[in-house]
Amino acid sequence: MQPTLRRILFIVILIAGLAWIGISANPADSDTAAAPQVGFSAPDFSLQSLDGQSYRLSDLHGQVVLVNLWATWCPPCRAEMPAIQKVYAEYQDQGLVVLGINSTVQDELSAVAPFVADYGLTFPILLDETGQVSSTYQLRSLPSSYFIDREGVIRYVVSGPMSEALLYARIEELLK
Amino acid sequence: MIELFRSLFTPPRHLILLVAAVWLGQSLAEKRAARHQVSAEALGNLIFYGLVAFILGGRLYYALSHLAAFVKSPLSLFDIGVSLFDPFGGGVAAVLTMLVYGRRQKLELWNTLDALTPFLAVLAVALGLSHLAAGTAYGRPTDLPWAIPLWNADRHPTQIYESLAALLTFGLVWTLKPTPRPGLLFLTFIALTAGWQLFLGAYRGDASLFMEKFPLDQVGAWAVLAVSLGLYEWRRSRDQQAGDGNVLS
Repeated sequence: MQPTLRRILFIVILIAGLAWIGISANPADSDTAAAPQVGFSAPDFSLQSLDGQSYRLSDLHGQVVLVNLWATWCPPCRAEMPAIQKVYAEYQDQGLVVLGINSTVQDELSAVAPFVADYGLTFPILLDETGQVSSTYQLRSLPSSYFIDREGVIRYVVSGPMSEALLYARIEELLK
Repeated sequence: MIELFRSLFTPPRHLILLVAAVWLGQSLAEKRAARHQVSAEALGNLIFYGLVAFILGGRLYYALSHLAAFVKSPLSLFDIGVSLFDPFGGGVAAVLTMLVYGRRQKLELWNTLDALTPFLAVLAVALGLSHLAAGTAYGRPTDLPWAIPLWNADRHPTQIYESLAALLTFGLVWTLKPTPRPGLLFLTFIALTAGWQLFLGAYRGDASLFMEKFPLDQVGAWAVLAVSLGLYEWRRSRDQQAGDGNVLS
């Protein structure tokens, strides 16, 4: 290809690229639905806690919420529990809510209370006995955690165990 | 099929795809290294040091960006979880390390970039597949017949578009003949990749906005495309005395 022709082609490509960006701007079909993914509104749910209280996620609007799905038989879930409890104790006064959702549908209900006592967990432990939340949140692995901001939007999703530093970093960002 | 794939490589298992791509990409790049006057051993070492720097740099950058969190929990620095990682910091560390190593080994910059191109092209394919597995880089809602159900809507399968475009790009850079002017293969790869990122960005549903209006990924891809075409033209203009190349000719 002749150099002049090539340069013209490159310029045309760049102008077409700019036009394409302009056409793509401000899509009218942007998402509004809730979904268990970063950037979406957190899907709402209502569950009973281990001590019989009812919790609805949408009632916690305005607070930073960490939803953690776990099971007693899951080693990574056990590994991260002390860190979650520590961070919850430190930040609950600043507006952090932790909802520890036991995936009871794939766990032994009788094992939950001893687990909570063993780890000294003071945040609400909710029981997903029908698998409703596991299904709504398209749970693929345990543990799975969802960091939800004050507007009810999921900001981070973590599959697998979380370290203390990760919890501090993410929660401090959301509490700012 | 897609559901099975997503179940098999659900995060953090999607990283297996990237690890496999590193192995495959490095093998292919080493196979072709001599064609670019770079020794396979030097190229292998360059990739190895780059990867080590990527991993360490990504963790260190994340720790420095969240210093208060790591002061409270310093042992988390050694946590094996992949969430405490910043890809930008990792990328900067990898590039700097590879530059230093390349300089010490007296590797020619453009020859080395050409030799690295198959490695990068395979990584780009794996990145698209890992997006599919993780459900990230998802598309806008659509009612097209090939839409995939994801995040409670039928969406453009942007991750599949991305993987196919990357695969085509790999096929092209793998079959192109060597050029008399080193660097053209690499610049062709970068321009093509930026070009399809710019095009496919219009179908992404997760775009951050630049100036609250324009998809940031597309703006970034356009800038990379402009730089790569400019550099390509600069390299080619220096060819006029040396004879014509075959890439994008």
